[in-house]
Amino acid sequence: MEEELDLSKFFDNLWITIVWDDPVNLMNYVTYVFTKLFNFSPEKAHKLMMQVHTEGKAVVSSGTREEMERVVQQLHEHGLWATLQMDDHGRV
Amino acid sequence: MGEFKGSSKAGDLTVALSNDELHILINLVEQLLELLGERNFIHHYQSDDPFAQLMAASVGNLESAIDQPEDPVLRRLLPNGYADPESAAEFRKYTESSLRMVKQTHLMYLREQLVFPVDHELPKADIAVTDPTQWLIAINDLRLALAVRLDIKQDSYEMYELMKDSDPQKPLFAVYFWLGGIQESLINHL
Repeated sequence: MEEELDLSKFFDNLWITIVWDDPVNLMNYVTYVFTKLFNFSPEKAHKLMMQVHTEGKAVVSSGTREEMERVVQQLHEHGLWATLQMDDHGRV
Repeated sequence: MGEFKGSSKAGDLTVALSNDELHILINLVEQLLELLGERNFIHHYQSDDPFAQLMAASVGNLESAIDQPEDPVLRRLLPNGYADPESAAEFRKYTESSLRMVKQTHLMYLREQLVFPVDHELPKADIAVTDPTQWLIAINDLRLALAVRLDIKQDSYEMYELMKDSDPQKPLFAVYFWLGGIQESLINHL
C-alpha cells in the first residue's frame, strides 16, 4: 500500500506555536514575555496577549518544527502554557 | 510592602521587604526548589566535576520517554509541549531536565538575593534587584505553584475578598495576591 506523503518533509515551515490562556499569568507579564522573546512591538505583543486572554489561545510563532520546539521550551521557561503543532490552517 | 525604588536601567532597583515577607518568600522558594529537585539529577548537574556532569547527562539520555510528573504543580511548571501524548513524552525526554534546571537556577538566584538586614532591629530590608528578569520568572513560578494548590480561577480575587478572616486558607490567598502585586510592580519598574 502506498504511504501517505508527508508534506512536512518538503515544506519545512509548517509548524506553529500556540499560547493558551490561564488565570494566573498577569496580562502585563505575558505582554512582557512576548516582547522579550519575539521582539514584537509593544502594540503587537499587547494585541496577541489580548487574543490569548479573550479567545483562550493565540498563535505566536511559526517556523520549522525544531524552531517551534525551541520557542515552546522558552515559553515554558517563562511559565507560559504553550504547545506546538503542525499548521493545518495556513501560514501565520 | 514590597515597594520598588529606582529603575533597572539605572541599575539601582531595590525592593523593600519586611522580615515577615522575607521569611514567607524564602519558605516558598525553598519548598518549590525541593519539589523541582525530585526525579532529577540535580546533584550531578550542580557538581563542578566534568565527569559527574557527563555521567548525569548520559543517564538522562538513556531514559526512554518520560511520563508527565504526577504532582499537579510540576505538571503546570513542566507542561506538555504537544497535545498528542506520544509526541509530548518524546519532547519531554529531551527537554524536561533542562527546563527543571532553568527554573531551579532562577529560584536559587532569588534565594541568594533574599538576605535579612545585618541590623536585626531594622523593620525591613532593601533588597537589590540585580537581575529583574530572573526575579520576574522566579516570582511567576511561585505564583503558578501556589495557584495550583489554591485552585485559582478567574474570579478568585472576588472570592478572596469575601473570605472570613478566620478562614485558614485566607493567608495563603493573601500571599498569592501579594506576589502578583510584586510582579506587576516589578514589570512597571523595568
